[in-house]
Amino acid sequence: MRRGRRNGWVGLAYLSPALLFVLIFTVYPLVRMAWMSLHNWSLLTPPRWVGFDNYTRAFDDRQFWVSFGFTLKYTLIITPILIIGGYLLALLTAHNSPVRRLTRTVVFTPVVIGLGVSSLLWYWLFSTDFGFVNTVLLDLGVLKEPVVWLGVDADRSNLAIIASVVWKVIGFGMVLFVGAIQAIPSDVNEASLVDGASYRQRVTRIVLPLTLRTVLLVTLLSVIGSLLAFDQFYIMTAGQPQNETATSVFFVYLNSFPYLKLGYGAALSMVLALTILAFTVVQLLLTRRSHT
Amino acid sequence: MVKHWRPAVAALATIALVGACSSDPEPTEEQAVQPATTSCASSGELTMWERSGGNKQMVDLLVEAWNTKNPDCKVALTYIPHTEMVGKIAQGIASGEVPDLMGMDLIYAPQFEKAQQLVDLTERIKSWPELATASKGHMTVATYEDKLYGVPLYADVSALFYNKDLFTKAGLDPEKPPTSLDELRSYADKITALGGDVKGYYLPGNCAGCNIFTVGPLMWASGAKIEATAEGDEPLTGDGVKQVLQFARDMVKAGNVHEGDRAENGETFHLQFGTGKVGMMGTGNFNITLARQQNPNMKFGIGLLPGVSPNSSASFIGGDLVVVPRGSERVADAVNFMKFLLSDEVQVEVYAKALNLTTRTDMVDNKYFQAEPLVQDVAKALDVGRTPYTLTFFEQINSPQGPWLQMLQKAYYTDESLDTIIADAKKAMKTVASQG
Repeated sequence: MRRGRRNGWVGLAYLSPALLFVLIFTVYPLVRMAWMSLHNWSLLTPPRWVGFDNYTRAFDDRQFWVSFGFTLKYTLIITPILIIGGYLLALLTAHNSPVRRLTRTVVFTPVVIGLGVSSLLWYWLFSTDFGFVNTVLLDLGVLKEPVVWLGVDADRSNLAIIASVVWKVIGFGMVLFVGAIQAIPSDVNEASLVDGASYRQRVTRIVLPLTLRTVLLVTLLSVIGSLLAFDQFYIMTAGQPQNETATSVFFVYLNSFPYLKLGYGAALSMVLALTILAFTVVQLLLTRRSHT
Repeated sequence: MVKHWRPAVAALATIALVGACSSDPEPTEEQAVQPATTSCASSGELTMWERSGGNKQMVDLLVEAWNTKNPDCKVALTYIPHTEMVGKIAQGIASGEVPDLMGMDLIYAPQFEKAQQLVDLTERIKSWPELATASKGHMTVATYEDKLYGVPLYADVSALFYNKDLFTKAGLDPEKPPTSLDELRSYADKITALGGDVKGYYLPGNCAGCNIFTVGPLMWASGAKIEATAEGDEPLTGDGVKQVLQFARDMVKAGNVHEGDRAENGETFHLQFGTGKVGMMGTGNFNITLARQQNPNMKFGIGLLPGVSPNSSASFIGGDLVVVPRGSERVADAVNFMKFLLSDEVQVEVYAKALNLTTRTDMVDNKYFQAEPLVQDVAKALDVGRTPYTLTFFEQINSPQGPWLQMLQKAYYTDESLDTIIADAKKAMKTVASQG
């Protein structure tokens, strides 16, 4: 009995650094955010208790739902591009050879650049007057006059931003897919070759099923990342035109900091966090079902 | 084990709380009675924040002049992106991480004064004779409930800059700028007709601040009121709002502005007139020097921003204040810096020499302005200028995501009914004002 209790304390001691980390950096901020969401607080004046008013207001706030709808649209467009594109790149480069290794390195390099930096880079590339994109398209005769890519038309801005994010992020999924493909036992591939399976049959009936868990993992990460998109929109469009490209997190930022409505921003964050949690749970359930 | 941790956690929490509460020393009485001078009272670097996107050239010159005079007490200047300045200051004040003094876009001052986040300087500066002639617009917003919180750092007034070379080419009299919106439209048509990359007018399509600075006065000059000053106040009143929106929409449709203007978010606004490709443009006094540097051979003139009726005009008096955030530990030196800014020598040898407006009206008559008629022309805008006063200026007007810019963008670039656009903006502004 005494030994069991002692083992328990030892276990707790081993766990305590991780527990402390989670308490300080996850639990406390979450509790604090929930507390803030029940107050009006501008940073300039002391917090004032308002109960669930901020939540009521969030559900009546048209711009919040416009932003949420836009974020979903962005997620629905970019996720298949990242998954399918990343998977195709992985299929092309999975087998080791100098050229394939070089290709993997080139495609993966933008992943190590900060999203803010890459957004600034693309902001310049898409510049109406000086940008590389317009210059090339004009020189090739594709365009007759410069196009204003960012901040004028919501769909055009969205596509420009998606292009920049795909360039930045696609290498991440590709590397995970390459790892999963390379982990498939070689005898499975060899057996399928002996059985006369075509390349397409091997990809669809062997490679894909055996890497499905990685596909679902990358999808989950991509969906969460896209639902939390902020930097690229803040830098490249600032929500323009007319807040049509303001993502949910951008709207939370806008209320929390420039408008100094920390309480309302916290309530919006809670709504967003719960929504993303719901997405994640659904996706995990689907993952489990497909696995079983 | 958890029990053993409790005292340590409690101690840490106490230290954190005490730290948070003690980081905000108020000036002592001894400091308060020290007479201000134009030099530093102590030694050590003074930290100062200023927004980017303001009159950086002027602020740099002022700081350089102070640093030359006070080598042991130099001002270390940090620029904060102008769209993040309000949040940055608020966070700084809340966390106790504040500079010794700061430049603040004057329109935000009332919000911070009301929240008592700036040091009350009344006892230190109220007797200064310089204040009698300090820019009225600045001093109005530097005052809250009869207490003084700052002095002008620099003044910007908006006016209509016009390119005399293009006027001549278009057959217009280069000495006669337009005096009504009808004339402005007709002159713009003629300049645009010159062809090439030249356009008659400039509209910053994605910049809320640029538009209140240059389009706002067109509305004021046409008898309109723009912002809701407080809860219950009606914004966007008067026929001038719709008339100016119609005027701007027609300008865009007539091709009198460059397509690229639509994406202008304020970053390159100050560089547009100097390109020589714009016939007329609402901009500020800061553009005199800039345009000369960009395009030394271009001849240009300055008129007032007109309204619907002939010879009606208005201007936005903007710029920055110097204020002291609560928690500053160098209040006396910050006040000395203010005294320095308002001194005769700095007004003439720094402000006027750089062809910027002096922040004291009695210093306008100086050798530099006498030699430069353009500055005298732009100074006329001070007589018809105004500074909006509201506690929610950022959210109502200056925010790139606020109702003011949304209204303008819809008016400029869509065919939606102007009445609906104005009604939507009015509703949004009233909501903001009621939450302020």
